[in-house]
Amino acid sequence: MGIVFTRLFSSLFGNKEARILVLGLDNAGKTTILYRLQMGEVVSTIPTIGFNVETVQYNNIKFQVWDLGGQTSIRPYWRCYFPNTQAIIYVVDSSDTDRLVVAKEEFHAILEEEELKGAVVLIFANKQDLPGALDDAAITEALELHKIKNRQWAIFKTSAIKGEGLFEGLDWLSNTLKSGGG
Amino acid sequence: MFSLLYGLWKHMFSKMEFHVLILGIDKAGKTTLLEKLKSHYFYSEGLPPDRIVPTVGLNIGRVEVSSTKLVFWDLGGQPGLRSIWEKYYEEAHAVIYVIDAACPSRFEDSKSALEKVLRHEDLQGAPLLILANKQDLEDAVSTDELSRYLDLKKLDERVYTFQAVSALDGLGIKESVNWLVDAMERSKRTEMLRLRAGSSLV
Repeated sequence: MGIVFTRLFSSLFGNKEARILVLGLDNAGKTTILYRLQMGEVVSTIPTIGFNVETVQYNNIKFQVWDLGGQTSIRPYWRCYFPNTQAIIYVVDSSDTDRLVVAKEEFHAILEEEELKGAVVLIFANKQDLPGALDDAAITEALELHKIKNRQWAIFKTSAIKGEGLFEGLDWLSNTLKSGGG
Repeated sequence: MFSLLYGLWKHMFSKMEFHVLILGIDKAGKTTLLEKLKSHYFYSEGLPPDRIVPTVGLNIGRVEVSSTKLVFWDLGGQPGLRSIWEKYYEEAHAVIYVIDAACPSRFEDSKSALEKVLRHEDLQGAPLLILANKQDLEDAVSTDELSRYLDLKKLDERVYTFQAVSALDGLGIKESVNWLVDAMERSKRTEMLRLRAGSSLV
């Protein structure tokens, strides 16, 4: 799988530094996805301000992960991670229907950020292996993805545990970034 | 004061862009069309057709045709995803409806999806361009044949046309866009959308 990934993303950004943010509520499966991609060691950092960012450096692309939701006092620090972000991968636990409303609100709040206006959005409707998981159409509805009109987006059904759907999504992402993005 | 007026003027005119929805059932060739449009008018490379995967979301193409700004919204056409279409109607100036002219077995599905689009009141008065796509294939039907098949009765009061195209090799693309730009510039809907955008400013 690592090889597929290399093929997809090598030479995508030239020598430019690029950033892809992997975001979602806690327990959505973000870290599992990074492990699945097998592209490097996941490094956890816990800054003294108390929010935890995981970083995977892959060639010149930085994948950075943190949980949305919770404490509002630390949110201003998120902005340190916004510049040069080409894409956002938003991960949703499709079986956690109770928290879909929160997932939606956090999602749209992050899209409002000025420095993220140019980023394309890939949504992983994750945990499709769990009973009661909503499908892509239902997650689209729940997250109100139709409100996105100024940037490209796509949603994929994934199971990070089984490794399903991830590369289809990344395939879309690399194609989209190649053809000029949003 | 001057800068205020200038800002208003800029807002009214320079920001005027046309939103064009690209709709149609899955496998009609909507994204291939979008990529063709991008490569034709934007001189960007455009994605090669063999790299195009089924759309499950929104693809966007921005092009400029003789100083008119066009924003194309290409939405996924699989049955489960068609419910998203209508959320984009309100802000759309026009609709391109793409049909695989070489696949008669799916004409019925295409027709009923199109009828549903036309019935929606959020799209009232939007010019409609129906594309008989995939003319590069031998068994593609002509626009006459396709229009006879679709037999659209609701079209009377709408500006529309049929055009034979091949999103793959580019046949008919230029004519299509020219018609579309002209139709949108004359359309009452454009006026209505412009007024609405203006009033939201104040």
